[in-house]
Amino acid sequence: MTDGHLFNNITLGGRGGTNPGQMKMYSGGVLWKRQGGGKAIEVDKADIMGVTWMKVPRTNQLGVRIKDGLYYKFTGFRDQDLATLTTFFQNTCGITPEEKQLSVSGRNWGEIDLNGNMLTFSVGSKQAFEVSLADVSQTQLQGKNDVILEFHVDDTTGANEKDSLMEISFHIPNSNTQFVGDENHP
Amino acid sequence: GDNRSAARTSTELFAYKNINDLPPPREMMIQIDQKNEAVLLPINGSMVPFHVAFIRTVSSQQDTNRNCYIRIIFNVPGTPFSPHDSNSMKFQGSIYLKEASFRSKDPRHISEVVQSIKTLRRQVVARESERAERAT
Repeated sequence: MTDGHLFNNITLGGRGGTNPGQMKMYSGGVLWKRQGGGKAIEVDKADIMGVTWMKVPRTNQLGVRIKDGLYYKFTGFRDQDLATLTTFFQNTCGITPEEKQLSVSGRNWGEIDLNGNMLTFSVGSKQAFEVSLADVSQTQLQGKNDVILEFHVDDTTGANEKDSLMEISFHIPNSNTQFVGDENHP
Repeated sequence: GDNRSAARTSTELFAYKNINDLPPPREMMIQIDQKNEAVLLPINGSMVPFHVAFIRTVSSQQDTNRNCYIRIIFNVPGTPFSPHDSNSMKFQGSIYLKEASFRSKDPRHISEVVQSIKTLRRQVVARESERAERAT
């Protein structure tokens, strides 16, 4: 096997929209570079804690979770790239990408899962969306059952998007037993 | 759409069956998919669909700095006349997304979104309640 795979048209997702770029996987880890320069993300293979693979509309998304809890999402892989990526992560990091499914049912009720600094909202064990807690500026408890998450806002908010998420709230009924008696969660 | 003609109750309503039924990813902005009765919200770099029937209210507001805000409130159990009260038994223990607020750069787009959601929601709710009435 040659040292390295190159993938074009891979976008880095996250708050603030998406950025197109190019991704390189090599023996030392993974490297993503923004198209036209600027931002680059380099992850050493030793820092990779987990890898996920998810089918998203018309393409595929690779999730890379690193040591400090950060989670990068790279979108734009073809179905046939899964085999290459699986081999790469197995050989380089000893990690097998874990497959996730995306919920498109449009329901607003489900489960919340906290992993690293990601909060995942899933419907019927499929992921509906995730937000990074690093983007949360404040959480508030409203009444007994509602939790509000406010997101950081500054001049760069919305650089690549027209509409930017400012706030979400979750309603946790009394019948939920997952977060009983823990005022700091979710 | 035809694929939902079998839906009988709000618990069975869904926006999409398959991932590739979603509209092609475009600009990161709130979109309405009339055909599938869905509202797509840009959350963390992804377009996240919600069926319009699960939306309770939508409102917009503009501040002095010409920023425009939109607030979408979803149905949750325990509110009066909430159609979810029948579901909440079925999905006990679930956590609900209650509200999502966005800031927009485009007030005209936001007023269109508010109008479209209101109209679409009215149509769907009317159809569903008619269907429920016929069933009894």
